[in-house]
Amino acid sequence: MSEFLSFATTYLPYLLQGALVTIEIAVIGIIFGSILGLLVGLGRISKNPLLSQISRFYIWVIRGTPLLLQLFVIHFAIPSVFSALTLPPFVSACIALSINAAAYIAEIARGAIQSIDKGQMEAARSLGLSSSQAMRRVIIPQAFRRMLPPLGNEFIALIKESSLVSTIALYDLLRTGQQIISSTYRYMEVFLLVGLIYLLLTTIMSFIVGKIERKVGAYE
Amino acid sequence: MITCKDVVKTFGKLEVLKGIDLDVAPGEVVVIIGPSGSGKSTFLRCMNHLEAADSGTITINGKLVETKESSLNKLRQDIGMVFQQFNLFPHMTVMENIIEAPVLLKKMTKDQAKKKGLELLKKVGLEEKANEYPNRLSGGQKQRVAIARALAMEPKIMLFDEPTSALDPELVGEVLTVMKQLAKEGMTMVVVTHEMGFAKEVADRVIFMDGGYIIEQGSPKMIFETPQHERTKEFLGHLK
Repeated sequence: MSEFLSFATTYLPYLLQGALVTIEIAVIGIIFGSILGLLVGLGRISKNPLLSQISRFYIWVIRGTPLLLQLFVIHFAIPSVFSALTLPPFVSACIALSINAAAYIAEIARGAIQSIDKGQMEAARSLGLSSSQAMRRVIIPQAFRRMLPPLGNEFIALIKESSLVSTIALYDLLRTGQQIISSTYRYMEVFLLVGLIYLLLTTIMSFIVGKIERKVGAYE
Repeated sequence: MITCKDVVKTFGKLEVLKGIDLDVAPGEVVVIIGPSGSGKSTFLRCMNHLEAADSGTITINGKLVETKESSLNKLRQDIGMVFQQFNLFPHMTVMENIIEAPVLLKKMTKDQAKKKGLELLKKVGLEEKANEYPNRLSGGQKQRVAIARALAMEPKIMLFDEPTSALDPELVGEVLTVMKQLAKEGMTMVVVTHEMGFAKEVADRVIFMDGGYIIEQGSPKMIFETPQHERTKEFLGHLK
């Protein structure tokens, strides 16, 4: 036990550095994935057929192919054809995570918006609000409340799936662990620590989402 | 003030309104009665374009009710609407419900709108509920807030779509009292309702609709005491 503790204290700083990278790409993925996801979700229910078809297509392709493949396309395949689009691993990782999360978040947003009673839209419109004002002030705030539980799931999944970026030479939490193993061969100890840190991150995430849920749900 | 000419509306194959004509004078209180499925709610909803009529024209204050967003949004500011299911915004307090549209559309400051809002809440007897969320209110209270919310836009016309049908019987009275008060103040009102007592007492004119047509109309006295049409007699007979 004390042997494990001394091992942990030696390597924990490195792992935490990797965890910081994981946190960074996850937070960026969550922010841009949410913005893009909301736009795609709105596009999906738009009356404009072109917008709605583009959104459907986006969701179909992104949800139907592996994140790992999307990461490889962005980081390896596209630069192999257009060398100007060669990106640092960190940027590729953020783009892939955002694009991928957006497809799921779009469906979450669509479901939540469509679940709001249509009387809400009618009441807002009959007061004279435009459809975008009604969306912004009446529908989306209520839909946001309903999005939170599935959104929490999506964010937790995103933290875990971000470990795939270790395959494009980005030193996130998992990759840092693997690197420590390659010089120490201490599989059990390292993966145990890596697992504990992921667990800590996802726990913090569900705590934050739960907190927001209670805050914005005060009216219920 | 409201002029409807030959209004037709179909849902798929079902023709709900089969050519309705109606003129409402300023300050007039028109009550529309009739069995479920007679088209009375649909007709009311055509007046502020929540339903688009297939043909015919509706003009409000001389302005055509049309699909064009910008003119429609402007027009709707003059037409208050009260729904059967209240449709208060649950994520806003009572006061926020009331000031939302005036602040957004009339460029009022929040303080001005709140002052006005408090007056309206006093009028409907709910000033102490200003900071409650709608889910803390009874049905009757919700509907009174909904009326105050509509009045906050200072509309020239108020439409009521079965405003008491979702209420427990003992809560109907408080809503009708507010509506009577409004009528007394000279508001132009079109009310779809099953409350015959209200129709008798408040209406300037009662309209009986059935099967997508206006069957008969006249003063409450005429409709309730000497109905001419067979369908009207039958409908009123069922109520006793």
